Amino acid sequence: MTNGSDLMSSDANPAQETDNVTPAESPVERRVFTPPIDIYETEEGLVLCADLPGVSADSLDLQIQDNKLTLFGRVEVSLPAAGQSVHEEYEVGDFLRSFILSDDVDHDRIRAKMSHGVLEVVLPRTTKADARRITVQSD
Amino acid sequence: MPVFRWGHAWQAIDDLEREVDRLLQGVGLALHGFRIGRNFPAVNLFEFEEEFLLTAELPGTRPDDLELTLASGVLTMKGERPVPEGVADDRYRRRERFRGAWQRSLSLPERIEEEQLTAEFTNGILKVHLPKATEVQPRRIQVIESDD
Repeated sequence: MTNGSDLMSSDANPAQETDNVTPAESPVERRVFTPPIDIYETEEGLVLCADLPGVSADSLDLQIQDNKLTLFGRVEVSLPAAGQSVHEEYEVGDFLRSFILSDDVDHDRIRAKMSHGVLEVVLPRTTKADARRITVQSD
Repeated sequence: MPVFRWGHAWQAIDDLEREVDRLLQGVGLALHGFRIGRNFPAVNLFEFEEEFLLTAELPGTRPDDLELTLASGVLTMKGERPVPEGVADDRYRRRERFRGAWQRSLSLPERIEEEQLTAEFTNGILKVHLPKATEVQPRRIQVIESDD
């Protein structure tokens, strides 16, 4: 679990701060990927799990606007630049995915946690008011 | 063309991607965003002057769930992805994540100092440092000027 200061400094790319840079110096456009997810039902509601390797709790942005749940995970690249790629199976990029929630989800009680690069979001069902018995009065 | 089907009882989430899939399928862009049909885990290998660095995407894996071995220049990784306990198959509304046991072997291009292999795990990314054996490291030979 090292995150050496030499790696951190490479993230602070000065080219990103200035707008009037030559094209050669402008930051490389980052790829955005759709993370694979699982959704399953529980007694409480739904659980959504998403694979977000390289994303930490701090670099994850989980938003609900109106009925739209959006997850955006920013992957922190921490590779020394001197390396030469010998074999490549995955590209590094950020993760983005959106969902529409129905009114059955209790938005206020949604909770989420990140652990080992997996996001887990619990979407509790709204507790419906108990069926009410209507007393019928007789005259 | 229903791509995904939700439980009839409780349609709590509708997925924007249903539309996106339909729009993008024709041109194959959906495949790209989804990174379908990949090995699990996906690995990258980099070469540095003194070592190789292998990175692998292993979200949800704990160091204890992982077995790493190196023999005769072949690195083997083995593990199993845990599944949530007590969740029956019919409770799933969507299943895209890899599950179950996996194993991958990679031949390394050069001799490795097997004793000095180190590995670290951060946010579901495994990094394995594989130091090159000393005899294959470039060595500078000092040339001494002779007097005669």
